[in-house]
Amino acid sequence: MHLVVCAKQIPDPETPPAAFRIDSAKNEVIPAQGIAPVLSPFDAQAAEAALRIKEKAGDGKVTVISLGQESAQAAIKQVLAMGADEGVLLSDDAFQGGDSYSTAHALAAAIKKLGDVDAVFCGRQAADWDMGQVGIGIAEELGWPVAIIAKDAQADGGSMVVQRVLADGFETVKMPLPAVVTVSNELGDPRYPKLQQIMQAARKTVTTWGPADLGVDASEIGAAGSRLKLEKLFQPESGAEVELMEGETPAEQAQALAKALRDAKII
Amino acid sequence: MQQNNPQEIRKPSRLVGAWWGPAVGLTGIGLVSAVEIERTSDATREVFFNVDQPWAVYLFLSILTGLLVYGIGRHLTLWALGRPVPGLRQQLGHRLRNAVRLGLAQDKVRRDRYAGIMHWCIFSSIVVLTFVTAQVAIADDLSIHFLEGQYYLFFSFYGDLFGLIGVVGVGMALYRRYFDSYHRIRWDERLEDHAILWGLALVLLTGFAVEAFRINATELDQQPDWARWSFVSWGVASGLDLFDLSESQLLSAHVWGWWSHIVIAFGWLGLIVFTKLDHIFFAPTNAFLLRTDSPGRLTKIENIEEREVFGVGQIQDFTWKQLFELDACVRCGRCSSVCPANLSGQPLSPMHLIQDLKSHLATVGPELQRVGHQNGDVRAVSPVAMVGDVIKDETLWACRTCGACVQECPVMIEHVPTIVDMRRYLVMDEARVPATAQAALENMEVRGHPWRGTALTRDSWMEGFDDVPYFDGTQEYLYWVGCSGSLVERNLPITKSVFRLLRESGASFGVMGQEETCNGDPARRLGNEYLYQILAQQLVDTFKEKNVQKVITNCPHCFNTFKNEYPQFDGHFEVLHHTEFLAKALKDGDLQARHQVTASEMTYHDSCYLGRINGQYDAPRQIIEFLPGTSLTEMKRSRSRGLCCGAGGGNMWQEEIGERRVNHVRSEEAVGTGADSVVSNCPFCIQMFEDGLPAVHPEEEGRMRAFDIAELLEQSVFGPEGGSRATSEVAEAIQ
Repeated sequence: MHLVVCAKQIPDPETPPAAFRIDSAKNEVIPAQGIAPVLSPFDAQAAEAALRIKEKAGDGKVTVISLGQESAQAAIKQVLAMGADEGVLLSDDAFQGGDSYSTAHALAAAIKKLGDVDAVFCGRQAADWDMGQVGIGIAEELGWPVAIIAKDAQADGGSMVVQRVLADGFETVKMPLPAVVTVSNELGDPRYPKLQQIMQAARKTVTTWGPADLGVDASEIGAAGSRLKLEKLFQPESGAEVELMEGETPAEQAQALAKALRDAKII
Repeated sequence: MQQNNPQEIRKPSRLVGAWWGPAVGLTGIGLVSAVEIERTSDATREVFFNVDQPWAVYLFLSILTGLLVYGIGRHLTLWALGRPVPGLRQQLGHRLRNAVRLGLAQDKVRRDRYAGIMHWCIFSSIVVLTFVTAQVAIADDLSIHFLEGQYYLFFSFYGDLFGLIGVVGVGMALYRRYFDSYHRIRWDERLEDHAILWGLALVLLTGFAVEAFRINATELDQQPDWARWSFVSWGVASGLDLFDLSESQLLSAHVWGWWSHIVIAFGWLGLIVFTKLDHIFFAPTNAFLLRTDSPGRLTKIENIEEREVFGVGQIQDFTWKQLFELDACVRCGRCSSVCPANLSGQPLSPMHLIQDLKSHLATVGPELQRVGHQNGDVRAVSPVAMVGDVIKDETLWACRTCGACVQECPVMIEHVPTIVDMRRYLVMDEARVPATAQAALENMEVRGHPWRGTALTRDSWMEGFDDVPYFDGTQEYLYWVGCSGSLVERNLPITKSVFRLLRESGASFGVMGQEETCNGDPARRLGNEYLYQILAQQLVDTFKEKNVQKVITNCPHCFNTFKNEYPQFDGHFEVLHHTEFLAKALKDGDLQARHQVTASEMTYHDSCYLGRINGQYDAPRQIIEFLPGTSLTEMKRSRSRGLCCGAGGGNMWQEEIGERRVNHVRSEEAVGTGADSVVSNCPFCIQMFEDGLPAVHPEEEGRMRAFDIAELLEQSVFGPEGGSRATSEVAEAIQ
């Protein structure tokens, strides 16, 4: 069984608010200094889901694909350390600046190029933009069924049984393979890699593919292929003003407070 | 400052100090004897009086020797399973001193006063009586007649004296074993414990009985002046007169008594081979093998990238010293009686851990030996896994690496490195890590600090200061703030206090701000040696690049790893904890503590890594002495006996399993002093108290406060309005 995990490297979602800056003119996030980008947490869970299926089956192959800059090697290595077999990086300027559609298009092309893929696992959403569309987009491109927000996925012969998280419970669906699953945090913690695996992963080479390798049309990928236009990116301003109530006694202060609140039409 | 309970401040006893009591007594007795001996010069007795086949003794002796050789051989084959011990041939002088100080003089045994006296009585008695017996043997074998005259009388005297001392020791041991039901020595009681004790009691009692029968038959009436020298047996012999025994009855009682004494004595010595009595040899040997470097240093795994196994998951992956130690354990329970985890009902008892490993070695060892240990796989010969089955994961995770067990162990077992070796196996080989510890490790790896989800940056504490100097290689000191000092809300005031005090003292220093990154200590303690080595090597390189020579740290854990472990990475820096720097600045007059502080009655909590592990007990107390209008009440467990706050060994980031939390236990002890504040020197300790104090004292009113000593000194130096931690807020809380 050949399983593919799509992994995205994102700015650290735990960046302290004070260190998070955006460039409003360019509508871009300014990478925080000294804070390295990380593997999107949901993608680590997607990897975990794929690895569990591989382990249970006793054989199979897990390939991790990432679309991003050269630094995304780190995210791929992390999934390799967890137990994935091969890594592919889609890295080319033409891939950059895309939206969910153009990213899904490129990833789907890479999956097609791999050929014998039985299932694709994505995080339910990337933890930076939280769009949650790439997984679905890949399924659309490939014409495969998709089950989103999964807490469990099991291979069952030629099909995949997925438990989906709903607002008020769970739903179990069965779909024929090949298929796409997007995985939610309810799946459980991703594994901690053994040191032996970390070292093996460090020695593995990651294949890099550009648009020519995939045979995709440059107008369909990256910024050129984007169908979504970002109009404005800004940080909401929050502030607080403090007014101390005057008064000789606590009772007088309370009266003043009540009056102020009434004037402000709060009470 | 006023010291409320000075008796609680105990300095570690020295060799000389502990021996003066017996020495003065014995010298006095010796002088009196010397005068008295002058009066009688022809005294003697027949060696092996009334005994027909004394050669049988030599038969017993050969059997015993054979048994000892067999026993040692049997042990040797098991120890040989272990890996080599590096550095054993270094520091031989130091090692010999350890063997004498900790082995022969038993410095550690005396840390428990009752046990110290008891053990000294038994030990000295056995040594002297062996010497007495040896003289009898020499006199007989070589037909040298030196047991005559004055020496014979003196010989009789000290033989009886040390026999009596032995009886006192055995009496104390009997009391402890049978009348103190909850005593730690009963936590893992076995048949051999009774056998050893009663065996020794019988050896001494039959010895006195035999002597009494002989004296009654041959000396009591005939040579009363001689008989009195054997003062104990003389007393017993005089008592025998009441029974009006005939001479033949006495002689036959003597023969029976003599043979029972011999058989029991040799039988008892035979126990050395089969029981914990082997500590007679193993304890001094283990003292010799004891590490000669700091207990704060864990071993470095060399060439970690080329290894296939990283931790210790199978018994033969320990060093032979670690295996040897298992046999040295006497199950006295001291380690477990001071272990913070064990005291809180958590699943770790160092004594049982050592004993479990010992049984495991005895179970799988011989089979491993047979299959060839180099390529041996315990899993092939045993269905149980050492880590997981014999020693549970949660047992290993409960360790605080506080070193209290190592400190107390009278036979010098080093539990902490053994536990960390198994943690290394869990983390690096098996990747079996509790979720919260895993999060901390991943965070160190990805974000360079263990504080998952912090909203602070390494610059946050600088807010409000526009003159924080950055270290550029020209200043004398690097002020190392550390992750906890900059990324945990509660510790920010401490960092500010230290900063302001450093500035006030006129010290030349700078900070690294955003360039700081975790020095790896928690990773190493949690067992991720690989991550530690990466982080440590990076930082050593950075320090060298920046020309760092001297470092001042907020945190005793940073302090320890810089000081004791970075030399493993060729990082040699002069490292000071802030308390050391500040105490000196106060003494030199660079800082003046003038103002009253918001704490008046204090108790001081020794952090493990500044106190026990690095021996710095005085600097923080000296600072407290400078604070006007304060008094210090020590907790019962203080200085080298201090109890961990519960956060050590990576437990800051773990869920505690067990009846109680360690910080609640320690907070109770602090509250028990009646002080209004508990003062410490470690960001983890402070956090643990901030959590523990409300738990043991739910009402906010009158609750004890936790301070880093720098916070109080800052108040005292800058006045009540000058404190960084909104001192006014603290003042209000106290009023």
